[in-house]
Amino acid sequence: MGFQEYMPGFRPVVLGIAALALAGCATFSEDGGMNTVSALTTERTGQSIQLAKPGHDTELAEKNVHQLLGKPLTPDTAVQIALLNNKGLQASFAELGIVEADLVAAGWMRNPGFSFGRMRTGNDVEIDRSIMFDLLGLLTIPIRSGIEQRRFEQAKLQAASQAVRLAADTRKAYFNAVAAQQTVQYMGQVGTAAEASAELARRMAQVGNFSKLDQAREQAFYADATAQIARARHNATAAREQLSRLMGVWGDKTAFQLPDRLPDLPKAPDTINDAESQAMQQRLDIQMARRGAESTAQALGLSKASRFINVLDVGYASKSETGAPRGNGYEIALELPIFDWSGAKVAKAEAIYMQSVHRTADIAIRARSEVRESWSAYRTAYDLARHYRDEVVPLRKKISDEMLLRYNGMLASVFELLADARTQIGSVNAAIETQRDYWLAETDLQAAINGSGSGGSSSTQMRTPASGEAAQEH
Amino acid sequence: MVSRRDFFTGAAAMVGAGLVSRVGAASLPEAPMMDKAATQPPLAPPNGRPYNPVVTLNGWSLPWRMNNGVKEFHLVAEPVVREIAPGMKANLWGYNGQSPGPTIEVVEGDRVRIFVTNKLPEHTSVHWHGQRLPNGMDGVTGLTQPFIPSGKTFVYEFVAKRPGTFMYHPHGDEMVQMAMGMMGFWVTHPKDPGFMKVDRDFVFLLNNFDIEPGSYTPKIATMLEFNLFGFNSRVFPGIDPMVVRQNDRVRIRIGNLTMTNHPIHLHGHEFQVTGTDGGWTNPASRWPEVTTDVAVGQMRAVEFDATDLGDWAFHCHKSHHTMNAMGHGVPTMIGVDHRGVVEKINKLVPDYMVMGERGMGDMVQMEMPIPDNTLPMMGGQGPFGSVEMGGMFTVLKVRKDQKRGDYADPGWYKHPAGTVAYEWKGATPAPARNRSPGGKLMEPTKKPANVELNVRNPSGHDSHH
Repeated sequence: MGFQEYMPGFRPVVLGIAALALAGCATFSEDGGMNTVSALTTERTGQSIQLAKPGHDTELAEKNVHQLLGKPLTPDTAVQIALLNNKGLQASFAELGIVEADLVAAGWMRNPGFSFGRMRTGNDVEIDRSIMFDLLGLLTIPIRSGIEQRRFEQAKLQAASQAVRLAADTRKAYFNAVAAQQTVQYMGQVGTAAEASAELARRMAQVGNFSKLDQAREQAFYADATAQIARARHNATAAREQLSRLMGVWGDKTAFQLPDRLPDLPKAPDTINDAESQAMQQRLDIQMARRGAESTAQALGLSKASRFINVLDVGYASKSETGAPRGNGYEIALELPIFDWSGAKVAKAEAIYMQSVHRTADIAIRARSEVRESWSAYRTAYDLARHYRDEVVPLRKKISDEMLLRYNGMLASVFELLADARTQIGSVNAAIETQRDYWLAETDLQAAINGSGSGGSSSTQMRTPASGEAAQEH
Repeated sequence: MVSRRDFFTGAAAMVGAGLVSRVGAASLPEAPMMDKAATQPPLAPPNGRPYNPVVTLNGWSLPWRMNNGVKEFHLVAEPVVREIAPGMKANLWGYNGQSPGPTIEVVEGDRVRIFVTNKLPEHTSVHWHGQRLPNGMDGVTGLTQPFIPSGKTFVYEFVAKRPGTFMYHPHGDEMVQMAMGMMGFWVTHPKDPGFMKVDRDFVFLLNNFDIEPGSYTPKIATMLEFNLFGFNSRVFPGIDPMVVRQNDRVRIRIGNLTMTNHPIHLHGHEFQVTGTDGGWTNPASRWPEVTTDVAVGQMRAVEFDATDLGDWAFHCHKSHHTMNAMGHGVPTMIGVDHRGVVEKINKLVPDYMVMGERGMGDMVQMEMPIPDNTLPMMGGQGPFGSVEMGGMFTVLKVRKDQKRGDYADPGWYKHPAGTVAYEWKGATPAPARNRSPGGKLMEPTKKPANVELNVRNPSGHDSHH
């Protein structure tokens, strides 16, 4: 480490003054930064967060989680549980403590050292005494403190960003799990219809009214339906497990209850005025990028002013990547400006500053685009869900009613009636999927405006409902 | 069925409508319209040569105007809404308010002038099926005349040379126009009203439509899978009876403008075919029948003495033609045990009921809701329950006290005691069956697998119904 040098013989008077001057900012905050994180998170998710500390805090959280799991989950309680219970999130809160410790440490001077040496060569005894003071450490305290302070701020934003992301992921997992469970229920009905057809066909063949070909056709549909039900069941399990993971539950707690159906569509879609500028103010990744750029600007100023203190690498503090551990850090080196008057260093610092400025702009541009895309996805999902609810499903129902009238008049067979029932169920299922997609899109839109976005366009692409297609195969 | 009241008020339904501008067409005879599908009383000739008028089953005869010794008729070809039976109407094309159009009755030797106004969306023509007439009056578009464009009036004029039974129908876009119901009956009476005189002379055309259940317009491209077969575009039970007095000499004239032949069958009496497309049959050539096949494009006149009192069925003997719309792809459910399956189906389709398990007769009794503008596959309530028929089916009612010229429905026949089939209340010993498989012409080279048929007595699961 470049600055862990010692310089014996520094005057204690200077030290004393410096130590007194710096003492004020060298303490731990009461909340460890959690209040800020909680405020940021609450503003964006409606849920507060808390750090699980050893002792009774953990018990309280446990109790809360237990209570929340006692009732069928809502999207909000699922998020609450995840925020209380997700170990990954708690780990990132712990990171906050680590950074704060660094911050506090940066404000303190290294302890003076004393060394005593005794050497004997033949009869000569040489005693070497020295007192060591961390001179450079003392000189760089304000710089280091400033850097650490900014790192701490970044860490808070980072923690809040993770909490908000977790909340969004949990909501999405929740909607997926409820929808998948509903799909299982409807696929079960398709199965019943297929089973009834197959059974009736079997009995018809038995009394000589059906050929083996006709019977095999009905049987084949039943066989396909059985496979589809198995897939649907697995999908429901997978969706539920995803939610379990995000909520950080295991053991008995995995027996949580989900409601039978997704929440209804709101009467009207949200109207969000000026979503883009709202995102510019709210989005955490933009705030982080902005802070990062500010840090590099300060570092640049420092480099220009001092020319012999190298704080270039601090610029990288703004770099943060989803899911990857943070690679923040800084290095301060003190040089003697004998041969090089640091022209290159300043140029490099400027380049790094510009880099961070462009990076911030890049993030902002992406965020704006993401908001527009999410908005389109949201509106489309809402309109589609309403279309399915108000048009497709009632039409299917009408078709089924008319089919029954035709059956009554012996104009259609019971097999056509059952095939139609299966198609109708398929449409109901597709309607559930569009309803689910609406809630997913709503979550994505909120994340695009308030959080750090969903990162890509793949999640907002409109899917063709799969179950409806499958049911119509026959 | 038509009520007594409807029958008599029917004549009032005939309304004169100035369809053609009176200013520009002062020379055009009136084109009377009909807005009812009930059988109208016979039209006694107000002028011209005397004749014995016919009764058009569920139809009417067209009045005419005498103009310097020429009988002038005015047919208006136009879209119409025809009641096929109460509960079902069809968008058809017809003449003067109805399909089929009015019956034209003339007398042998009459000079006839027929104005045909085309109110259809497309051109048309009228072919006078079976008549001897100048070639240019035969009504075949392209071949003997230009077509009658939409909105135009053409005139046909010829002498009704040959007495007998005829029809008229378009001969331009014929397939479409006939599928839409363009047709009418024509009778040329003999000069001598005493020639082959009968007391009652019924006429109707056989026709078929393909109207999807729940829809109103016939499918014009159908060739064989018609679902409605009618007499004069009416189907049982919406059809009128043929009412006669006991010992009346009755003639029934039938023209076939469907796509298939119809074996027309009368119960309780034998008849003779006295007229064909070509004219009156030679009395020496006639033989008694109870069914006569009327081939496509043919006319038949059958005659008999209505000697036997009662309500006698009269129908086409192709059993599909005595059904209304039905699903031809419906599998046979007879003998299929539905237990357990019904509950499953009911979970998905709560109003589902088992049908056809014991045949189709069941469903006639059930009266379940069916699509709009659709008639039950079969039905019609008789004095002993459902007649379980539809389509080309009506009843010949022979009554002792029916007045001459009275065609009103006298109600159901009152059977004298001991003349109705009754239930045997005695013991029913097992019938002695011959177990021999019967003779064989040739031995099969390969023995078929021994198929065991699981024959079960119809035992009905009434709980499902």
